Amino acid sequence: MIFTRSSYIFLFFVVLFSHQICAQFYQTTSVNIQFFSSAPIEDISAVSREGISVLNPDHAEISIKVKIRSFRFRKALMQEHFNENYMESERYPEATFRGRSIEKLKLVPGSSQKIIFQGSLMIHGVAQERQIPAIISLANDKKTIRLTSEFEIKCKDHDIRIPRLLWENIAETIAVNVNANFQMRSK
Amino acid sequence: MKELCLIVISTFYLGVKAQDIDSIMATIPAEDNYKTEATFKSPRLVLLQTNETQKAKNLAFWVGHRFGDIGGEFGGSHTLYGLDVATDLYLGFDYGITDQLTVGIGRSKFNETYNALVKYRVFWQEDQGLPFSATLFAQSGWITRKPFFNDEFPAESDRISHFFQLIIARKFGPGISLMATPGYLLRPDAQVQDLDDRSNLFVLGFGGRFKIMKRISIIADYTIVNGLSRPDSLQTDYFNPLGIGIEIETGGHVFSLNFQNSPYIIANNFIPNTTKSWSDGGVRFGFAISRNFNLAPKRDSIDN
Repeated sequence: MIFTRSSYIFLFFVVLFSHQICAQFYQTTSVNIQFFSSAPIEDISAVSREGISVLNPDHAEISIKVKIRSFRFRKALMQEHFNENYMESERYPEATFRGRSIEKLKLVPGSSQKIIFQGSLMIHGVAQERQIPAIISLANDKKTIRLTSEFEIKCKDHDIRIPRLLWENIAETIAVNVNANFQMRSK
Repeated sequence: MKELCLIVISTFYLGVKAQDIDSIMATIPAEDNYKTEATFKSPRLVLLQTNETQKAKNLAFWVGHRFGDIGGEFGGSHTLYGLDVATDLYLGFDYGITDQLTVGIGRSKFNETYNALVKYRVFWQEDQGLPFSATLFAQSGWITRKPFFNDEFPAESDRISHFFQLIIARKFGPGISLMATPGYLLRPDAQVQDLDDRSNLFVLGFGGRFKIMKRISIIADYTIVNGLSRPDSLQTDYFNPLGIGIEIETGGHVFSLNFQNSPYIIANNFIPNTTKSWSDGGVRFGFAISRNFNLAPKRDSIDN
């Protein structure tokens, strides 16, 4: 007999602990992110459907990233200016958020929960500690989680400078809409 | 033995199962092969065309100006260093039918030349794929001034020239783009000024843009005309066109403030006729202004 009783107990905890950390993850590679800028001369909006996100409901943790260049604008020249002059997307190719909900997630199939993620929002190479509200719901089959979020970003907070000449064209505060459908990740 | 077993079992469990959000994020591949945007800020550099075209359904209005010689016989204080003189003026419109295809028309003061141009982007540089962009350019010029002497233009077709160019460009980083552009000029004998000169000329151009501030760049281009197909011993002293400028971009406008030895603006005119040189005061100030108008319907969806 190789194992003593104490080693059985140790193994038991190893297995228990590993099951604990082996939580169920949910992921998506098609997060829909839209933003809007409303200024006296023009309203600007853009959309990306290529956001990537992973959610761990057990720890109430989320990580999300989006390539800046995946944002599509109605006007191609605006898209070029967005990438070249404002976001400098070759230098700072993505925006990310990594955070954790202040409350535990109580995912009840078919019902939704309002939560607040606290974490670090990184845009244009500048990280900001933020609290971002979201609504989260688990589908009846428990295989998909839907998350929606609306929040605002101040250009100044992320060192995105708008020339005085163009202040009438671009708002200082940008409204952001996030829409994600997470699928249960196979183990 | 016992300890070894425990360690093996433990690491197996912990190693295989210990996943966290960050390690999963790292395994999901993200799209990273985007087309390179804005190799140059404008379809025109100082003298040459760049690989850039108009965006689809965008119209650009172009104004170009070349003043007189800064120094030498025709410059100096008597002409306020050339500012009294306009060797060429250009007004034109470029329209993007698609992101790949641009057509344009224009008119130059020099020789009262009307021109029509077509520009087609063959391919784009990509982050992970093609290392450069390529664009084809063709331009016809039609001289409409009165003949200076009888039979200067025996037939109407003698007033027309054509210029073809392949533009290969690469953006090396956010602040530096270079291009090389071989071209061929076809002109009727009636337009040849020097009797010993060839009517059709091969050219090879080089250009670059160097960003010094977010919206301000230094631009330069140089076109080799002499030493290629042009004969060496000519009555007239021709020089290779060289232009250096500062390009300022503000939203839908691009301004460039330039110095160049070429008195004329469109390729059909400046390639065969540059008789001014940087060394003898023949350099001149010039500028170009473009204003972009987006003619796409407003309700056009962003869902493309």
